[in-house]
Amino acid sequence: MNWHEFQRIFNDCELDGDKIVIKSKLHEVIRFVTQNYTYRILEEIIAIDKGNGETELIYHLYSFEDEEDLFISIIVKDKAESIVDIFESAIADENEIYDLFGIQFTGNENLKRLYMPQDWQGFPLRKDYVQDDTRLAWNDDNEA
Amino acid sequence: MTITKLKLNLGPQHPSTHGVLRLILELDGEKILSCEPDVGYLHRGMEKMAEQMTYIQYLPTVDRIDYLAGCFYSELLCRIVEQALEVELSDKVRVIRVMLLELNRIASHLLWTGSFLMDLGATSPFFYTFREREMILRYFEKLTGQRMMYNYFVFGGVRKDIDCLDDVQEIIDILPEKIDDYEKIITDNPIFLKRTEGKGILDKETALNYAITGVNLRASGVDLDFRNIDYLYKGFDFRTIVLEEKDSWARYKARIMEMRESCNIIHQALEYLKMTPALEQRLINPLNLKLPAGDYFAQIEAPRGLAGCFVCSDGSDKPYRLKWRTGSYYSVNLLRKLLVGEYLNDAIAIAGSLDFILPEVDK
Amino acid sequence: MNYLYFLYIEFLTKHHIPKLFGDITFYFIPFCIIAAALIIAVLVLVLAERKLLGFFTQRKGPNRVGVWGVLQTVADAFKLLCKENITPTHADRFLFNLAPIILFIPVMTVLGIIPYSSEFTFVNTSTNVILYLILAAFPVLSIFLAGWASNNKYSLLGAMRSISQVLSYELPIAFVILSVAVLSSSLNLTGITLAQFSKWGLAGWFIFPCILGFIIMFICILAELNRCPFDLPEAESELICGYNTEYSGMRFALFYLGEYAMMFANSMFMAILFLGGYLSPFGKYLFNSSFLIYFEQAFWLFLKAGFIIFIMIWIRATLPRLAAFDLLKFSWSVLLPLSIVNLFVAVILKMGGIV
Repeated sequence: MNWHEFQRIFNDCELDGDKIVIKSKLHEVIRFVTQNYTYRILEEIIAIDKGNGETELIYHLYSFEDEEDLFISIIVKDKAESIVDIFESAIADENEIYDLFGIQFTGNENLKRLYMPQDWQGFPLRKDYVQDDTRLAWNDDNEA
Repeated sequence: MTITKLKLNLGPQHPSTHGVLRLILELDGEKILSCEPDVGYLHRGMEKMAEQMTYIQYLPTVDRIDYLAGCFYSELLCRIVEQALEVELSDKVRVIRVMLLELNRIASHLLWTGSFLMDLGATSPFFYTFREREMILRYFEKLTGQRMMYNYFVFGGVRKDIDCLDDVQEIIDILPEKIDDYEKIITDNPIFLKRTEGKGILDKETALNYAITGVNLRASGVDLDFRNIDYLYKGFDFRTIVLEEKDSWARYKARIMEMRESCNIIHQALEYLKMTPALEQRLINPLNLKLPAGDYFAQIEAPRGLAGCFVCSDGSDKPYRLKWRTGSYYSVNLLRKLLVGEYLNDAIAIAGSLDFILPEVDK
Repeated sequence: MNYLYFLYIEFLTKHHIPKLFGDITFYFIPFCIIAAALIIAVLVLVLAERKLLGFFTQRKGPNRVGVWGVLQTVADAFKLLCKENITPTHADRFLFNLAPIILFIPVMTVLGIIPYSSEFTFVNTSTNVILYLILAAFPVLSIFLAGWASNNKYSLLGAMRSISQVLSYELPIAFVILSVAVLSSSLNLTGITLAQFSKWGLAGWFIFPCILGFIIMFICILAELNRCPFDLPEAESELICGYNTEYSGMRFALFYLGEYAMMFANSMFMAILFLGGYLSPFGKYLFNSSFLIYFEQAFWLFLKAGFIIFIMIWIRATLPRLAAFDLLKFSWSVLLPLSIVNLFVAVILKMGGIV
C-alpha cells in the first residue's frame, strides 16, 4: 500500500517496523484501507496487554491480490470501536478479546463469555490477572 | 396463526459436532431460523500457558492444538524461533518437513472424508479411509514414536534423521488407487450428489468477509494457497486446487483433489530424500533460549485453513504474549450465517463439510 | 395347522385330559412358538448384520464371545435385560411405558399370519393380506408415542419424520399388493403362495411379471423399517437416536427386538408375495416324507427372506442417508406413479391370460 498517501489522510499515525500505529479513528482507518486497497481478509485481531491498563490491538489484514500483509496497531484502554460492520469475522475475534482481555467493543452486540464460564471473574490474559477463583483450587479444604 | 419456535441445543454432546461444539438453533419445524455457535468446552488456555513456559517447554504442547494435524503447529512455533534468531534451514530439513506436513495433511483429510460421509449417514467409507490413515499413522509411529502428537520438529531442524522411506513410498503408491475407490463409492453416488450439490453455498464475498481460508475458500473460487508464498515449499511443483461450485460438493471434491496433489508433493520430496546423504543439522540450543524483543509472526497453510502464530517477545526466555490463529475458529463463526434457512439434516452435512475440529477452535 | 392340532389332542387323550381343555389351551402353543422363534430369529439377524457389516468394511465383526462370536448378541441381550430402566423427569410416564408394548403387539401378530409351510399358519383368515397391511403400519403409532412421551426434542423430531415417512410410503405398498392380489386372485397369503406354483419352479413367481412392483415394494419396506438410506427417524448423526433416544434397558431392547422382528416379517412377506413363499425353486421338493416337507418348505421361505435381508444389509453398508425433503418427494412423485403403472401391467397380464 501507499504509505505516504495514507499518512496524508491520517496524519497522527506512524510506521513502526512493518506495522502502522494509529492513535484513534480505528473504524475509519480500517474502512479506508478496505475501500482503497485490496485488503479483503481480516485474518485476525491480536491483543497484547501492555500493562498500566493499556492494551494494544493489532489488526492483521491480508491482500491476496498483492500477497501483502498489513498490521494496524492501536492502543486502547478498555473500550474500542467494533469493526463488525466491515468484517463479519471480527465477531469472533472481538468476542475472544472481550473474553480474555475484558475490552468492550462498542457496536458489537454479540459479546459474551466465550471460553470462560459465564460467571467468571476477571480476564485471564491480562497481566494483572490473579487466579483467585476458589472453584479451581482442588485441595482438601475446598472439597469439604 | 402464530409460529412457535423450537429451541434446540445441538451439542455439546452430540455425535456429529466433531467434538464439543454447541449450536443453539431456533427451528420452525426442521427449518433453521437462527444459529448461535457456543464454543469453549475444550478450552485449555494454550495462550496463557505459553506465557509461563519457556519455548522448549511449550513446544511439545502445541501439537495438541490440532490433534489431527499436529505437525503444522510445531512447525509454526519452530518457524517463529528460527525467524527471530535468523537461522536458515538446510534443504534436507526443509524437504523432510514438507514431506511430513503433507503426510499429515493427507491423514487429516482422510479422517475428514470418513467423518463427513458419517454425517451424511454412510458408515462404510469411514472404515476405508481409516485403513489408509492407519498406514500413515504407523509410519509416523515408526519415525517419531507417536501416532498423533509427534513433537518431531525442533528449533532449527528435526529431532532425528528420516528413515523408513520405503513405507512412504508404499503409502503414495497405494493411496491414489484407494482414492479412486472412494470416488467410486462416494462421488458417483446419486444420493451423495443430492445431499451435497447446491447445498451450503458459500459465495466468495461471504467467505472473505468471514475470514474463511484454506480448502473452504478455494472451493468458493478464490485462488489463495499460502503454500505458494511459503519458503518451505520453494522448489516444489504443485497445483493449487480451485473449484467454482461453492457448495458442499466442491468442498469435498477439493479435499479429494488436494490429497492427490499432496501425494505428488510427497513423491517429489521422496525423490530428493532418497538421493541425499545423511542429515547434518545445527540445532538451536533450546536451553536458555531467548528471543530478541519484538513481534514475530508466522503463518502456514494447515488442512483446516490458515494457521498463524504471533509472538510478542520482551527479550526474556518466555513469550510475553503468544497468539494462535486457527482456521476452524472462523469456520465455526461462519455457521451463524451459513445454516440459516437450511433444514436440520442439511445443516449437519453443511457443518460437516466445513471441516472444523474443536480443539483448534477452543485452543 | 391341523397337523399340530391333532398331535396335541392325541397327546392329551393319551394322558386322559379332556378334549375341551385342549381346544382352549391349543392357541397358546403357537404363541409360545412364535415368541421363542422370534427371539432366536432376532438374535441371529443382529449377529448376521454385524458380521456382514464387518465384512463389508474390512473388519471382523463380533468375534470374542463364543466361537466366531455367535454368543455376542446373546450377551448383548442379557446386558440390556440387566440394565436400569430410566424414565426422564418430565416424560409422560404412562405413554412412555406403553410405547414399546404397543410396538410389540403387531409384531407378534404379524408373525402369526405368515404361512411358514403348507400346514403351518397360526392365523389363517381369508383376507390376511389386508390384516398384514394394517399391522405392518401399526408400529408408527408406537414410534409417535415414544417420541412424544419422551419429552426430548430429538425424539419428537424423529417421531415427526417417521410419521411423514410411513404415511407417504404406505400408499405405493398398497398398490403393489393390489397388483399381486390381481395376479393371484386371492387376498390370502397361502392362496398367493399357491398361485405361484408351476412345474418349472421359479418360473411361476410373481417377481417376473411384477419386477417393478418388487423393486418399489423393497424400497418402501426399507422406508417403513426406517432402515438406511431411509433411516431419518433415527439418524444417528442428526437426531442422536431419534425416537428411542431416552429409552434404556428392557424398553430399549423391546424397540430393538421389534425393529428386527419387523424386518424379518417384512422380508418373509416379500418372499411370499414375489418369490413363491415356501415353494421350492426347483418345482418339486427334495424330501418325500410328508413330515420333512414341512421343514423343507420353511427352509425355502427363510432362505428367500434371508436373501432379501442380505440385500438390505448390503444397502446399509453402501448408501448415505437421503434428505427428508427428497425422501417425501421420491415417494409421491416417483414410487406412487410407478406403482400404479405396475398395477396396470398386472391387470393387463391377468386379463390377457398370460399369468
